[in-house]
Amino acid sequence: MTKNSMQCLKALCCAAAILTAGCSSMKTPATADVAVSNAAVDNAAGAGGAEYAPAEMSSAREKVALANQALAAKDYKRAEDLANQAQADAKLAQSKADTAKAQAAANALEDDIHALRVEINRANQ
Amino acid sequence: MKKPVFLPAMLVIAALVSACSTAPRTTSLLDQTRSDFVAAQNNPNVARYAPMEMQQATVAMDQANAASNHDDSAEKIDKLAYIAKDKIALAREVTKQKEAEAEIARTNRERDHMLLDQRTNEADQAKIAAAQSQLTAQVALGEAAAAQRRTEDAQAHAAQLQAELADLSAKQTDRGLVITLGDVLFGTDQAHLNPEGMHTAQKLADVLKQNPQRTVLVEGYTDSTGTVSHNQELSERRADAVRTALQEMGVSGDRVTIHGYGPQYPVAANDTSQNRQLNRRVEIVLSDDNGKISQR
Repeated sequence: MTKNSMQCLKALCCAAAILTAGCSSMKTPATADVAVSNAAVDNAAGAGGAEYAPAEMSSAREKVALANQALAAKDYKRAEDLANQAQADAKLAQSKADTAKAQAAANALEDDIHALRVEINRANQ
Repeated sequence: MKKPVFLPAMLVIAALVSACSTAPRTTSLLDQTRSDFVAAQNNPNVARYAPMEMQQATVAMDQANAASNHDDSAEKIDKLAYIAKDKIALAREVTKQKEAEAEIARTNRERDHMLLDQRTNEADQAKIAAAQSQLTAQVALGEAAAAQRRTEDAQAHAAQLQAELADLSAKQTDRGLVITLGDVLFGTDQAHLNPEGMHTAQKLADVLKQNPQRTVLVEGYTDSTGTVSHNQELSERRADAVRTALQEMGVSGDRVTIHGYGPQYPVAANDTSQNRQLNRRVEIVLSDDNGKISQR
């Protein structure tokens, strides 16, 4: 009887362990996705995304907030989807900021060249 | 009875269902995303500058298209289309960034090129300036040599004049060069030059022809024997005789001024005949190079 009940307990423990592991493996990707999205939004903000791509930035922030809410509500599928969208928005915002900066640098250099050309023409007169 | 009616109805339903499933479900977001994707594919710079981003966009696009073909829910299609749209936009942004960076590199090269050109230009100009200053130096050297030659010519000319005047026993005095024609060159109490006097006058005429800028003042003097008026007249006539002789020898009359002083300004006491002879004389004062003569 005791031997049987011990075996029964062992089986129960195993089942619980397997179930818990399954549960946590379901939960981990969404948590990771939300974390990655948070980091992407931070990076984009650091690169000046709010200045150069305000629409993408606010969309990304909004979706990260919703993803966090979904995570809290244990709606992992929705949290993952929102996190992926937020990440795509944040990457786009960062790229837009980088592009704007590169274009500004190109324009400044163009102005320099123009000034240099004027100066050289004056020197050669 | 029932069976024949049932079969066609089933066929119609099956046909409708299959038609429905073969016509893929689409959404306005998916349509928009597809048109963005085509635009990105048609931009050669996207393939050139953002191949990795374009590949990721293609994967996302394929997933959205697959959802559409599987007739998934509009919500799921939109979810995938949204991601695809963002990734396509990302590929285009990266392309724009790389284009701007390429422009920066090109502009930098252009600036380097301009600076190099300008330095070459400056070096060329410096070379030209150096050549010009060398030329100027050579010209100045030539001018200095010419000036020296002129100075030497003038000195040689002056030396020649000096030699010719020495031949005429010219003396350097306060008034300039003075040539004295002694009494012996005139006939006694006469106002015409004897052959020896003419010979001396010829030498003077030669000097004047070679120095056309010079003029002469011819002054007659006598001793104190006889009346003052006679001596005054004699001194004037003797001076005039010299002028006439010079004119005959080709010297223009306006270059010769005459003046008679009679017994004034003796050079010796009138006590002996020898001294009186010294006082009977004609002095010829030579002007400077500008034709100036200081009067007594």
